[in-house]
Amino acid sequence: MPAVDRILVVDPERCTGCRICEAACSYQHYGEFNPRRSYITVLKRESDGLFVPMVCQHCAKPLCVEACPTGALYQYGSAVFLDKSKCIECRQCVNACPFGGVGIDPVTLQVVKCDLCGGDPQCARRCPTGAISYVRADLVGYRRKLEGAERLSRLTSLIVPSGGG
Amino acid sequence: MSELSRPYGGYAGRILRVDLSSGRVSTQDLPRDWARLFIGGSGLAARILWEEVGPGTDPLGPDNRLIVATGPVTGTAWHTSGRSVMVSKSPLTGIWAESHFGGHFGPELKYAGFDALVVSGRSPRPVYLWVHDGTAEIRDASDMWGMDTYETTAAVRDDVGYPAAKVLSIGPAGENLVKYAAVITNSHDAAGRTGMGAVMGSKKLKAVAVRGFGSVRVADPDRFYELALEARDRVLGSDQAMELRRYGTAMLVEVKQAIGELPTYNHRSGVFEGFETIGSHHIRKNYWVATKACFACSLACKKKNLVRGGEFRGLFSGGPEYEGLYAFGSNCGVDYFPAVLKMNWLCNRYGIDVISAGVSMSFLMELRERGIIGEDLLGGVDLRWGNHEAMIEALELIARREGVGDLLAEGVREMARRIGGEAERYAMHVKGLEISGQDGRTHRSAGLTHAVAARGADHMRGLVTVDQLAYRDVAAERFGEDKADRVVDGYSEDYKALAVKMHEDAYAVRDSLIVCWYSVGWPPLFWVDDFSRVLSAVTGEESWSDVGEVWLAGERIVNLKRAFNVREGITRRDDTLPERFTREPMPEGPGRGQVVDLERMLDEYYELRGWDLETGFPTRERLEELGLSDVAEELAGAGKLARGGGGS
Repeated sequence: MPAVDRILVVDPERCTGCRICEAACSYQHYGEFNPRRSYITVLKRESDGLFVPMVCQHCAKPLCVEACPTGALYQYGSAVFLDKSKCIECRQCVNACPFGGVGIDPVTLQVVKCDLCGGDPQCARRCPTGAISYVRADLVGYRRKLEGAERLSRLTSLIVPSGGG
Repeated sequence: MSELSRPYGGYAGRILRVDLSSGRVSTQDLPRDWARLFIGGSGLAARILWEEVGPGTDPLGPDNRLIVATGPVTGTAWHTSGRSVMVSKSPLTGIWAESHFGGHFGPELKYAGFDALVVSGRSPRPVYLWVHDGTAEIRDASDMWGMDTYETTAAVRDDVGYPAAKVLSIGPAGENLVKYAAVITNSHDAAGRTGMGAVMGSKKLKAVAVRGFGSVRVADPDRFYELALEARDRVLGSDQAMELRRYGTAMLVEVKQAIGELPTYNHRSGVFEGFETIGSHHIRKNYWVATKACFACSLACKKKNLVRGGEFRGLFSGGPEYEGLYAFGSNCGVDYFPAVLKMNWLCNRYGIDVISAGVSMSFLMELRERGIIGEDLLGGVDLRWGNHEAMIEALELIARREGVGDLLAEGVREMARRIGGEAERYAMHVKGLEISGQDGRTHRSAGLTHAVAARGADHMRGLVTVDQLAYRDVAAERFGEDKADRVVDGYSEDYKALAVKMHEDAYAVRDSLIVCWYSVGWPPLFWVDDFSRVLSAVTGEESWSDVGEVWLAGERIVNLKRAFNVREGITRRDDTLPERFTREPMPEGPGRGQVVDLERMLDEYYELRGWDLETGFPTRERLEELGLSDVAEELAGAGKLARGGGGS
């Protein structure tokens, strides 16, 4: 059986908006604390206060790779990486990505993106609520099913009160 | 941004100064000795206030300062490093004022390049301040005057063209100089106490917005990061912390009911028959929608609630915290949660402190019940126990300072003075600040804390939890095995002076780093030895690794705030409690029959502090030991320094 790659999974329902992921990311890559230099960004919807961590999806059909004229962006396994030695800073990838997954560092003004911290993404490692996790791709669906089942059973219990047995 | 002359790691290295009278914006390097002596946050602000706001300054005049301060830990990844503090001279109390708030404003101020913001003067027209990337602009806010804090936040973000700007703002209450007007950040987090909103209003400063692209650099990143990870694991591994994440501070309603310390009917009683429907289990089950956290917090105590039916159907809001539940709930006899949520939401929108507002209303309710005031004074607002409609009406009037709202907007001390007669007996305040949700009768150390805290009846600066919540093992660690049983006895005065002094010093450090009460005070997961490790890793100043130095810094800060108050005329006579706590035995519940013996605790407290027993003035010796010789000199000049070796 071929080895199954792991992917970053974001669950906005669990996100409290604490931005520890951003602090951890900037520390991992720059040795300092600066959410603006983080490759992951927690967005807040003011209307309902819901938080959504946004990060490179490491798409299987990445538009950034398509857009890149020099091959600086490339796929390896189930991830998308940036080879800075080939990058000409044309920012086509920044425009192409529908998720803002490729960004521009506010200090160097260079193109930057999530590199999965070399296999141990710190955002997932440090998230205190499990809103960001780094899991085997083939288990993501199963985990979603489990969570869905949990929600469904909660709904059911509202209709059919448990207990008494 | 260019490299600044950072005195130590962790700091931005600069203070932003804005004078609204002249429109001048300038920056000042953070003095190295201020960082070493006063750390940051509350301590740093105390030094600034001491130097710049002399005795007799009108709190609502141009000479008062409004300080927003962060600490060396703010904006790093250490647990709860998102807090900041507003400091000024209080229009409510006329003495030291500080009010801490969470959210994300403080870190953003650091990223923008500033450890603190100091506002002086008074603008001729409404303005807001746009702080970004090492500088600031004073911008017109005429169109925003009259808006509530939600509208203001949106308008400011629109005006600066940056939707993620972090915003502090005031609502109509601040504009109308309600004495306990609050400052609200990003809609749900409040610098609630001591009237910071009125200070902003007096300066015609509607809002402060900030955006920063800079970094916080710590001296020893690897060691610091290890400490941050360890802190996070400690929080995630604590059952109490995780319970707090689930229920929020609302869980204190049930806890306090159980120990007979849930203030009810204007602090008359400590148990409330309707506690269950304002309690956390009821709220979680019926109203809870989401949980949120301040910057870098692993605990996440904040709750968002939605009312799905009934009179307030569709109301969706953050909070309330325990203090809101007690102030608008049990203390006014209200057991209908949606009404409490509504009042809390109104306070957030109008910028009003929930504690002072609730206690001001419960004060009038009691006076009316006792026949001390007549119906005419209420102007048709039917304030009586449990009538939430009248309370909502009153909040609207407070924000606009109309009718009885104009009286309520003064706070209970001034209200009692105007009403006269018997009223003062039921005015629940210390030094003019309305009493928070504790009761010294069933929690003796809380009685002492309320009496001696620098900003008045304060639950944040010295509240001991090892007795209140019976953490015997923690008490044994902090006070020794031999004292532990006496320390945790909430009905005994024994060792409470020792406990309050120790906690005040520790919390002064906490408030200067700045980190949060939740996980330092409750649950008690971090203590001064942790602060010592964090401070030395962040700043690189090796002397902080000596835990004794950290304790000393805490004591220094407490003494400086005391000196500020003494310079304003505070003496032992002001370190007191409403006679309800000292003379009126708790009428019912587990603490039935209990009263506070305050004078005994005060004597012991002054002795431990090295303050004069008779006057409560600090002594030259103690101030000099703490490195506050110049403070001693000034107090001596004013005839407000005690001689001799302290209280002995």
